[in-house]
Amino acid sequence: MDPLVAAASVLAAALGIGISTIGPALAQGNAAGKAVEGIARQPEAEGKIRGTLLLCLAFMESLTIYGLVIALVLLFANPFA
Amino acid sequence: MHHSSLLLDSFNWFTALPLASLEVGQHLYWQIGGLKVHGQVLITSWIVIGILVIVSVLATRKVERIPSGLQNFMEYALEFVRDLTKNQIGEKEYRPWVPFIGTLFLFIFVSNWSGALFPWKLISLPEGELAAPTNDINTTVALALCTSFVYFYAGFRKKGLGYFRKYIEPTPVLLPIAILEDFTKPLSLSFRLFGNILADELVVAVLVLLVPLIVPLPVMLLGLFTSGIQALVFATLAGAYIHESLEGHGDEEEAH
Amino acid sequence: MFDFNGTLPLMMFQFFLLVAVLNAVFFKPLTQAIDERDGFIRTNNTEARERLEKAKRLTEQYEQELAGTRKQSQQVLADAQAEAQKIAQAQITEAQQQVQAEVMQAQAELESQKQSAFSELEKQVDTLSQQILNKLLGATLA
Repeated sequence: MDPLVAAASVLAAALGIGISTIGPALAQGNAAGKAVEGIARQPEAEGKIRGTLLLCLAFMESLTIYGLVIALVLLFANPFA
Repeated sequence: MHHSSLLLDSFNWFTALPLASLEVGQHLYWQIGGLKVHGQVLITSWIVIGILVIVSVLATRKVERIPSGLQNFMEYALEFVRDLTKNQIGEKEYRPWVPFIGTLFLFIFVSNWSGALFPWKLISLPEGELAAPTNDINTTVALALCTSFVYFYAGFRKKGLGYFRKYIEPTPVLLPIAILEDFTKPLSLSFRLFGNILADELVVAVLVLLVPLIVPLPVMLLGLFTSGIQALVFATLAGAYIHESLEGHGDEEEAH
Repeated sequence: MFDFNGTLPLMMFQFFLLVAVLNAVFFKPLTQAIDERDGFIRTNNTEARERLEKAKRLTEQYEQELAGTRKQSQQVLADAQAEAQKIAQAQITEAQQQVQAEVMQAQAELESQKQSAFSELEKQVDTLSQQILNKLLGATLA
């Protein structure tokens, strides 16, 4: 493998996963905060809120996972190597 | 495909440890007819399918009115997937879709957990290693395409060719986006599952490489949790897509 | 990592096969069992409710009967008491009348004896006074 491509791939993978965590992290924090507010306001709806929250968190999580997939592609299945 | 990798090279000096190794992208290839297949994925998926079928047969061999043991457990599982389907598709039409969504959930769930709980690594293959079937992109794409087929089938069965009205229903301007949606749905479904499971196994493998004892346990537990949630998410989304194509825009809007 | 090959269609095929097999050996029988149990529980429930209703009605009826009987027994008791009172009253008045009569008779007897005694006494007074007179006047007369 060309050392330049290798270095660029490693850097791109690290940056890619790092940047792709920012948005979902903010979104998850926001969602969790809102869910806690909801539970505080209506404690009897906790079960429903928790289920929905977990589902939504999984969706946001998947955005990071997309970044992770790209990083993994760069590391393990680099098409330019 | 390139099996050698950067990470692998950098971990080469770890391979002196016989406890664990990191292998990504190495497969046991079988030749069936003119097709090349990943043997290790098929083996584990057959084991998962075998577990499911055997447990189901054992549970329903003698159905009793007052359930006990295995029947009780499987009835719990059935009630769970029934509730899941009912929540997504609605009381009126959920029944025919319970088998599909339930099988989706059970297969993904058992696959994910088998990857974490079953000591696959003790069985050595000539090439590649046994792991959860869902950490192979072929499996997840296959499941996602099955979901696509089923929601198209659901739409056609309900509305015939009128199903295509949903692409131009609010305004034809959104037609490209509506068509694009049909591609992004299976793409995101399959990548979500694949990425999560692969990431789990990689994180556990890397931790085991660094510290072989005890330290990876919390991450493994987190992995079990994530695996369960991912199975739930996959099944829920499949239900949501089926509901979407059953309902569409129009006649049943006022039911809500 | 992203090598798609024959695994994909094979996996789809065996997944749909799994759906069919599980539908036959798992979903259908257990769904049927659950529905049957639901029906069984529902009928049992309605039956039990009916039985409960019946029991409640019977209880009410018995309670009414019990109340009636209790009232009747009280009536009987009150009647008996009243009768006893009446009899006692009658006997008391009778006894009183008898006593009164006896007292009256005794008084009348006493009165008559007193009268006779008085008359006797008067007679004796007469004779005594005659004798006294005779004795006093006899000497002088003689």
